Amino acid sequence: MDSSAWGLLVQGAWTTLWISGISIAIGVVMGLLIALLRVAKIPVLHQLLGVYISLARATPLVTLVLFIFLTAPTMGVNLNRNVAGIIALTLNTTAFNAEIWRSAFNNFSKEQREAALAIGMTPWVYFRRIMLPQITITSLPGLVNEMSFLIKGSPAIAVIGVVDLTRVTNRISAVTYDPLPPILAAAALYMLIISLLVWLQRVAERKASRLAV
Amino acid sequence: MPETAAVSIRKLSKSFDGTEVLRDVSLEVQTGEVVSILGSSGSGKSTLLRCINWLERPDHGDIRIDGDRIGVSDSGKPMSRRELAGMRARLGMVFQGFNLWPHLSVLRNVTEAPIHVQGVSKAEAEERAMALLEKVGMVDKRNDYPYTLSGGQKQRVAIARALAMQPKVMLFDEPTSALDPELVGEVLGVIKDLSKEGYTMVLVTHEMEFARAVSDQVVFLDKGIIIEKSHPSEFFVNPKTERVRRFLELEVPVA
Ligand SMILES: Nc1ncnc2c1ncn2[C@@H]1O[C@H](COP(=O)(O)OP(=O)(O)OP(=O)(O)O)[C@@H](O)[C@H]1O
Ligand SMILES: [Mg+2]
Repeated sequence: MDSSAWGLLVQGAWTTLWISGISIAIGVVMGLLIALLRVAKIPVLHQLLGVYISLARATPLVTLVLFIFLTAPTMGVNLNRNVAGIIALTLNTTAFNAEIWRSAFNNFSKEQREAALAIGMTPWVYFRRIMLPQITITSLPGLVNEMSFLIKGSPAIAVIGVVDLTRVTNRISAVTYDPLPPILAAAALYMLIISLLVWLQRVAERKASRLAV
Repeated sequence: MPETAAVSIRKLSKSFDGTEVLRDVSLEVQTGEVVSILGSSGSGKSTLLRCINWLERPDHGDIRIDGDRIGVSDSGKPMSRRELAGMRARLGMVFQGFNLWPHLSVLRNVTEAPIHVQGVSKAEAEERAMALLEKVGMVDKRNDYPYTLSGGQKQRVAIARALAMQPKVMLFDEPTSALDPELVGEVLGVIKDLSKEGYTMVLVTHEMEFARAVSDQVVFLDKGIIIEKSHPSEFFVNPKTERVRRFLELEVPVA
């Protein structure tokens, strides 16, 4: 592979990174909000969110990407490929994250809540100061796990023509007629990204184990 | 004008799923008084204590802290979260299971509420906390996390945490029941010091000797009803009811 091939590869890696990164960032926060709404058990909304989560978790990413990209124009919205990709990845990862956050809420100790209320904290102060810092740490392993799933699933956005780290290997081999080197290089780059996440997960797990006691 | 009681409970009733747990309970705790609540398991002691700070919502009756009603605002409507939190801040509670916040160091457990509920400056909260940790003998552990502490140490921190809000009344729900026997003394010692300093306290306990030594008033709950209320010298020596006599025979080892 020559330097221009490497240049293309890095561009592809960058596309994978920023599209996944934005989806992850929105997905983590939206997941938290949805979990909060679910825990509040607001009628109708609760059921609607439940349906969304089941659907989003059951739909393959490729299907979701195609669905968003093809239906948006029929509803009068013209999405560019990247935005359609981000929306699809976000809808997918949000659903998984919402479940991770929700189980952290449900498993959180009632005793700590009582101590907080008894000392005069409002429910909001309790959430901000006592619950959120702890469930963030305990959820982090699950969230990071989901992040690496998302990155590994992100080549799905290639079906609508986004040139990500996987798709770009096609482009390179179309010129070089040697598909193996770019694919190996891409695999190495994926591994690099995922191992960074795994390292982050280990750090989080060490912190979480202290809270478990 | 008669002195306003620190805690005044009038005709309190509470049921869980149709089972009456407290019936027509009335009790006054004067400022500076230590009141012990005794009774066998399931008699409603914890429920009574938890109604005082509205962790349980009473079905009937009213509870006043320093003359101000908790849970119900002047207009008769349920208190807002903020109002309720303000009333609860006047009461310190110590739980059987300590309930410390594990993500915060000992010092932070004690400064958390003064800073984020009362709006006290960090410096002042720390000064307050250090004085209290000194009082409960936990200054050396101020930077440690709860999981490193023994049960007795955790409970002493929990007491300091509650005291840091400078509450009008301290509520203790079996503060030594979860402790290994050899650790009970250090916690009771702290509570005894507080009683000498004039703190107003309501204490649920199974430590009969201790209740006898520190209480100004002993209350006996039987199936959610107060069947005896008297001075410990009377209660332990000359119980009025057969029920209490039997209870004492079981609980107090014959000397
Ligand atoms: N949240 C609840 N829901 C349903 N029933 C409850 C609840 N809390 C307490 N009870 C019941 O109310 C009764 C009184 O309970 P409470 O905890 O006040 O007793 P207690 O005197 O503190 O007992 P112990 O000495 O075992 O702590 C018990 O029968 C208990 O099962
Ligand atoms: Mg109890």
